[in-house]
Amino acid sequence: MAYEPLLLRNIHREDSRSIDVYLAHGGYQGLRRALKETTPEAMVEEVKNSGLRGRGGAGFSTGMKWSFLPKGLEKPRYLCVNADESEPGTFKDRLLIEKDPHLVLEGTILSAWAIQSRTAFFYIRGEFYAGERIFRRAIEEARAHGFLGTNILGSGFDLEVIPYRGAGAYICGEETALLESLEGKRGLPRIKPPFPAIVGLYGCPTIINNVETLANVTLIAERGAAWYASIGRPKNTGPKLFCLSGHVKRPGVFEAPLGTPLLTLLNEHAGGMLHRDRPLKACVPGGSSMKVLPAERCDVLMDFDSLAAAGTMLGSAGGMVMDSSTCMVAALLNLAEFYEHESCGQCTPCREGTGWFTKILRRLEGGQGRAEDPDLLLDVARKVEGNTICPFGEAIAWPVQSYVTEFRSEFDAHVARKGCPLAVAARS
Amino acid sequence: MAEPAQPAPAAAPAPVELPPAGPGEVALVVDGRPVVVPKGTTVLQAAERLGIVVPHYCYHPGLSIAGNCRMCLVEVEKTPKLQIGCATTAAQGMIVRTTTPRVTSTRNGIMEFLLINHPLDCPICDQAGECRLQQYSAEYGTGESRFVEEKIHHDKRQPIGARVTFDGERCIKCTRCIRFCDEVSKTGELGLFERGGHAIIGAFPGRPLDNPYSGNTVDICPVGALTWRPFRFRARVWFLKDTPSVCAGCARGCNVNLAAYDGRIHRITPRFNEEVNSYWMCDIGRQSHEALYARARLERPLVRQAPTPAAGAPAGPATAGEALDRAAGLLRAVTSRFGPDALAAVVSARLTLEDLYLAKTVLGGLVGVSRLIVPPHEEGEDDDLLIRKDRTPNARGAELLGLGAPDAQGLVRLSDDVRAGRLRGLVIVGEDPVGDGLLGEEALRSLEALVVVDSWKSPTIQAAHAALPAAGYGEYDGVYVSFAGRAQRARQAVRPHGLADPPWVVLRELGRRFGLSQAYAQASDLFDEVASHVPALAGLSYRSLGDGGRSIAGA
Repeated sequence: MAYEPLLLRNIHREDSRSIDVYLAHGGYQGLRRALKETTPEAMVEEVKNSGLRGRGGAGFSTGMKWSFLPKGLEKPRYLCVNADESEPGTFKDRLLIEKDPHLVLEGTILSAWAIQSRTAFFYIRGEFYAGERIFRRAIEEARAHGFLGTNILGSGFDLEVIPYRGAGAYICGEETALLESLEGKRGLPRIKPPFPAIVGLYGCPTIINNVETLANVTLIAERGAAWYASIGRPKNTGPKLFCLSGHVKRPGVFEAPLGTPLLTLLNEHAGGMLHRDRPLKACVPGGSSMKVLPAERCDVLMDFDSLAAAGTMLGSAGGMVMDSSTCMVAALLNLAEFYEHESCGQCTPCREGTGWFTKILRRLEGGQGRAEDPDLLLDVARKVEGNTICPFGEAIAWPVQSYVTEFRSEFDAHVARKGCPLAVAARS
Repeated sequence: MAEPAQPAPAAAPAPVELPPAGPGEVALVVDGRPVVVPKGTTVLQAAERLGIVVPHYCYHPGLSIAGNCRMCLVEVEKTPKLQIGCATTAAQGMIVRTTTPRVTSTRNGIMEFLLINHPLDCPICDQAGECRLQQYSAEYGTGESRFVEEKIHHDKRQPIGARVTFDGERCIKCTRCIRFCDEVSKTGELGLFERGGHAIIGAFPGRPLDNPYSGNTVDICPVGALTWRPFRFRARVWFLKDTPSVCAGCARGCNVNLAAYDGRIHRITPRFNEEVNSYWMCDIGRQSHEALYARARLERPLVRQAPTPAAGAPAGPATAGEALDRAAGLLRAVTSRFGPDALAAVVSARLTLEDLYLAKTVLGGLVGVSRLIVPPHEEGEDDDLLIRKDRTPNARGAELLGLGAPDAQGLVRLSDDVRAGRLRGLVIVGEDPVGDGLLGEEALRSLEALVVVDSWKSPTIQAAHAALPAAGYGEYDGVYVSFAGRAQRARQAVRPHGLADPPWVVLRELGRRFGLSQAYAQASDLFDEVASHVPALAGLSYRSLGDGGRSIAGA
């Protein structure tokens, strides 16, 4: 069955990022139709009915999120586009921004209109210098065509989209840290509640949506909720961008319906394992902060509910594939170092726990492990999990728990053999 | 990173009967005990009402909520995750548990986390004995750590401000100090720098922690990270005894504790009073006890034996009786030779209400002094928080007693009168007009009688015929009336220095030589008498003033 790409429909076209190419292939038709034929309330309903779930990681219903906004319009409302894509193993939003910025921008305009926000902020990761330049140009093009500014397409709706490049902190992808950063402060997550829909940017009701989520809103506006909901699986509707990296022949971003089997993505889209003689050992299906699946449990469907049932999460769909040459202690150490570096330092369990993980793992990998270390890792993870201000705590606690639990013998072997058995084997 | 999946909440056990909540109130249950609180109360505060302590570091009632220490995590029924008590609003019917195995285990974990990079240098830490880490380790810790790694190191003695030293290793990043500077002093010198385990409190470049309220950051620091430099390594806090009192540094009357040990005040810290100073005090007041020890005290009574002051013979030691006799004799001689107009007194608004009352009745009444002058002591301007430009604690008290508002002109006229020979005798209590540059020593030397009662050896005393040592701040009991009209008790924390007596005792003894018959055994006797004469103080007593003082009618 051939799948026609929807999100990636333009990326291979020459000059795909220009508004002319975008317009030539049906671009901004969804916006035109929505503004002319329907209402913001109907647009919210349409998105609800489409079943679209947020593509940033949590998988929460986008239409539902929008409907959490307070009814009155006493205060301005803001839409913030979360383009701070920083999850290791995840690089899908960058592709959309750099290759098809208007698909994202059209979805941004549609969503801002749906929630009646007259100012939208595009918070883009600090390292995405090219993406920011490209997106700024897209904004200028859209303005020149009357898709931005005042009285857009004669609808009476005004909108400005303001791009803002962060400083490259992973934590600023957490929505409340993003708001703090956007307000010019240190990127520290806020205590919730209040949720941003009630008290968000500058104290005003705010919706934060992921880049890919907004690209999907464009599709829904173009072809309707019923069509959209027919893609994928029940409650897991629509097309999805899957990133595959690690020990595969062809790493990259692949589009497929939600619910596509992981092994199909791995073997067909990504071309299979990198080395014929090194079979699959483990895969993190949803980005570095999600739980790892050992090879024997990798026969799963890639959607929110199937992966939750498998004990992990779809997350940002950043699949990281590890073959038999991978040392799971070293892999976890690598992750732990990242999370130690990126912990904002605000709350106790994460600030102290992330560094502790790293120190224990470094000892284990370096041959100074103690028999109690694997259990200590699990217990420290238990003390971090659920006790932090933001989900960053889980983002490292879950990998620690799953790596140690799923590959316990490997951790114990590091203790028993006073070092990494794989390294020892390679040396001998 | 993504929002975590939530496990299903556990089934609820048998409910506790909720008391009725009025409008604007909610009823909830904490550890099986019902409580009704105003809407908007947090779970932590609701528990507090029941006497249930929810341990915390970052929460401070005078600051915004940060929710970062995670020590106050408690179980809230129907909520799968533990919730921080400091930021969770109590809701109708909420069922909170603060002592379950899950809460206990989490607290153990938080304590372990807080200590893994903490230097545990308690033996030499000034905070030891009043440290939340120590306290909670005892109450909620496991007593051991599983951390065997090298700790993160930071600078241990960084002069973060003129009077405050920062130890980066002891810091638990609760950000109370940052929030204080942002929200209370509104000076914003402090911020959190770096990230993760390397996160560290610091002053912004070129903005040291030098605001006039910097000492409060030391008070609210729950650990030994911020220390008050004048107090560093001075005393183990468990030897200090706190006496509730009132600051005498300005007319605000901040409620304070005087911490004394071995006959000396070592530290002044603010004592909560919602209506006066909340949790705070200024650095000037905090250092006001240093004046007691910085200058040489007048240790014993002095009497000049030379027949004429112009001879300039130095004063020599005497007994209090001798000094008082000499003072009484000289004062009497002036009135008999020149009449009462030739006699004046300068009394200080730094004196207590009791001192001032006896100054008025003894000097103004029995001795026959024609005028009592209260010099002003003003500096700078009133600020928006606590500091008043009137740097005396009791100007309102002096006014209440009919001594008038402090007036700079009074001393100018007095000076003219001395020079013109119209004024021949002067009693000065608690002031040093020569040292303050308000009266010339030469002019004073022309007087026939100069009687000085003060705590320090001063240029004014150099010219005195008789000088009597006065107990200083913190050395005797009395009442001050703040600029806002609040009568508050200042209390004795240490014994008077040397042979000093409270000024009112000196005045009483002088009064004896002019026929004073009342016993006035203690300061409260005087206050009771003042209260019976001054309508604004009617019905008040030391007991009714209590620790927090009382706003007085018509003041």
